[in-house]
Amino acid sequence: MLKIEKLKKAYGKYHALDGLDMTIEKGALYGFVGPNGAGKTTTIKILAGLLNPDSGTIRIDGVDAGRDRRGLKGKIGYVPDSFGVYDNLKVREYMEFFASCYGIEGLMARKRCGALLEQVGLENRADFYVDGLSRGMQQRLCLARALIHDPALLVMDEPSSGLDPKTRLEFKELVQELNEEGKTILISSHVLSELAAMCTDIGIIDQGRMVLCGSMKEIMERVDQSNPLLITVYSNMETAMAVLRSHSCVRTISIKENCLSVGFTGDAHDEALLLQQLVDADVLVNGFSRMQGNLESLFMQITDREDKEVLLYENKPGL
Amino acid sequence: MRINPVYKREVTVSSRSARIPVIMMVFNSILALVAFLNMYSVTAQVKVTAEIQYSSFLDLYMFVASLEFVMLLFIMPALTSGSISGERERQTLELLLSTKATPWEIVTGKLMSSMNSMVLLVVSSFPVMALVFVYGGITIKDMGLLMLMYGTVALFSASLGICFSSICRRSTMATAMSYGVLTFLIAGTFVINYFVASMASMGAAGYANQMEGITSQVNSGVCLYLLLLNPAVSFYQIMSGQAGSREASVSVTQWFGSRSPNMVLDAWLPVSIGLQLLLAVLFLLIAVRAVDPTGGRRSRHEPKTRGTHASGKE
Repeated sequence: MLKIEKLKKAYGKYHALDGLDMTIEKGALYGFVGPNGAGKTTTIKILAGLLNPDSGTIRIDGVDAGRDRRGLKGKIGYVPDSFGVYDNLKVREYMEFFASCYGIEGLMARKRCGALLEQVGLENRADFYVDGLSRGMQQRLCLARALIHDPALLVMDEPSSGLDPKTRLEFKELVQELNEEGKTILISSHVLSELAAMCTDIGIIDQGRMVLCGSMKEIMERVDQSNPLLITVYSNMETAMAVLRSHSCVRTISIKENCLSVGFTGDAHDEALLLQQLVDADVLVNGFSRMQGNLESLFMQITDREDKEVLLYENKPGL
Repeated sequence: MRINPVYKREVTVSSRSARIPVIMMVFNSILALVAFLNMYSVTAQVKVTAEIQYSSFLDLYMFVASLEFVMLLFIMPALTSGSISGERERQTLELLLSTKATPWEIVTGKLMSSMNSMVLLVVSSFPVMALVFVYGGITIKDMGLLMLMYGTVALFSASLGICFSSICRRSTMATAMSYGVLTFLIAGTFVINYFVASMASMGAAGYANQMEGITSQVNSGVCLYLLLLNPAVSFYQIMSGQAGSREASVSVTQWFGSRSPNMVLDAWLPVSIGLQLLLAVLFLLIAVRAVDPTGGRRSRHEPKTRGTHASGKE
C-alpha cells in the first residue's frame, strides 16, 4: 500500500528526515510514534503533498508520489492536527466544497457527503454552521472531509489532541470502525496506550529514521525480551555486582539506590540460573523480575537519550 | 463547465456577509447625493439665468467616474489582502492544498470573487452614470474605455493584494504592504519625478546664468516612465481626453519637463494599460508560487534519488 524508501528532508542544517524507510500494508492501522522533532509531521506533510522531500521515493497504491503529485493527493486523505473552519459555511456546504476540490460534484457529491456525515454521526448537523460545532464534532467533520474522495490511505496527525477523554474514545472507535471496513490508516499520536490498544502495526521514528517497526504483536514480544531485569538487592551489593559482571548474558548494569537494572539477553531458564547464582553467592535478593513491557517503556527505552540512572558496567562484545 | 470551487465557496460566503451590501450602499448613497446636488444646482441656475449649463453633467460624470476609480483602487486591496493570509490564519490553507485544488485555482478563485464585487459596484452605479446620457457629451466608446480602465485598475490592485496576502503570514502585514506599494505607485512615482525634475531644474538654473534658455530643456529623464505603472495617471489621461482638454495625452508626457516624442510617449495610454495588466499577471504568478508549498517543483529529486540508491546498493 505505502512504501517509503530513504526519504530525506532537511531544513537548513537540520535533518528532519534522514533516510526514512517505512512500509504499510493494505488494511493496516499503523501507529506512527516518535518524540517531538523526530520527523513525524514532516513525513505526514510530505505524504499529504504539502512538502517536497529532498530525496527518496514514496509509492502509494502503485502511484509514484515524486512523478504524480496530483495522483498522490487522490490517494491520500489528510487530517491535520489543527482544524480550521470557514465562517458562514454550513456543514453540508463545507463537505461539498471539499468534494468539488477533488472534482466530485452534483448528485454524486451530495450522496457521498450525506453518507459520510451519517458515518461520523453528523447527519443531523448538516445545516449547522461549521464554526458553531463543538471541537469533537469538528474533528469528526474533518475526518469525513478527508474521506470525501475515498482515499486509499488515511493519514492523521495527532487527531485526538485537544479532545476530552469521552470524545477521544468516540473518535478512536470511529477510526477502528473505518479500519475494520478495510481502510488503511496511518495515525500519529503521543497517546501511546491508545495506539497500543487500536493499532495493528507500529513504527517508531527518532531523529528522522525508523528505529523500530513491525506488527503490534511482534513489537510487544520484543518489548518483553528487550526489557531489563530488575533485581532488588537487600544486602551484599558488591558480590551481586561481581556475579553479574561475570555472567555472559549480562550486557549492561545500572543502579538506582538498591535496585539494579540489568540488560540481560538470556531466556527464562538463564534468568532462573542467574537468580540461583546470586543466592548461592549469599546475596540477599528481595526482588527479581523482568520490567513489564508496554509501548511507553519501549518508546522511552528507544528514544530517551538522557541516562537518569548511573551506568556502572557495559559489556561491549569484541572488546 | 466546472466552476472553480474556491470561487464558488467565496461567493457563497460573501453572499452571507454584510460587507459588500454595506460598501455598495455607502458608495451609491454618496453618488446619489452628489447627483442630486448637481441636478439641483443646474435647475436652480435655470430658474435664475434661464440657461442650462450642460457642462455640469460632464462634471457629474467626471466626479462619479473619479470616485468610482478611487473606490476601486483602494477597496480591491482591502478585499484581497486577507484572502490567502486569512486562510493561513484560519489553518484552512493546508487543508485546501492537500486536495487536488491547484495553487492557481486557489489564487484565481480569490481573484474572481473580488472582481465579482468590483463588477457589482460598477454596475450598481450605472443609474447615476446614466444621467450624463440625458444631455449627451459622452459616447459609448468613452464608456468602454472607462470600463477598460476600471477593469485594469481592479485587476491591478486586486492582484497586488493577493500577492502580498500570499507572501505575508499575517493579514495586517499583507494589508499594510499592499497599501504601501500602492501608495508608492500612485504618489511615489509622482514625487520621484517631481524631485528629479526639480533637481535638474536647480542644476540647470545655475548653468542658465551662463547659457540662456537651457532651463526649458530639463526634465525628469527616464523617471517619467515610472508613471506608466501609475493607474491614476492613466485614469487622468482618459478623463482629460473625454471631458477635458484634447491635448491631455501631450500634457501628461510633458508634466516634468519637455521632451521629444518617441513611440512610448506617443502611445502612452495603451502602453501604460498594457504594462499594468502585465504587472497584475506578474503579481498573480508570484502569489501562485508563494501559495504552492512545494514551490512549484515537480519531482526534481527523482532521477537524483535513483542515482543515490544505485550507488548505495553498490
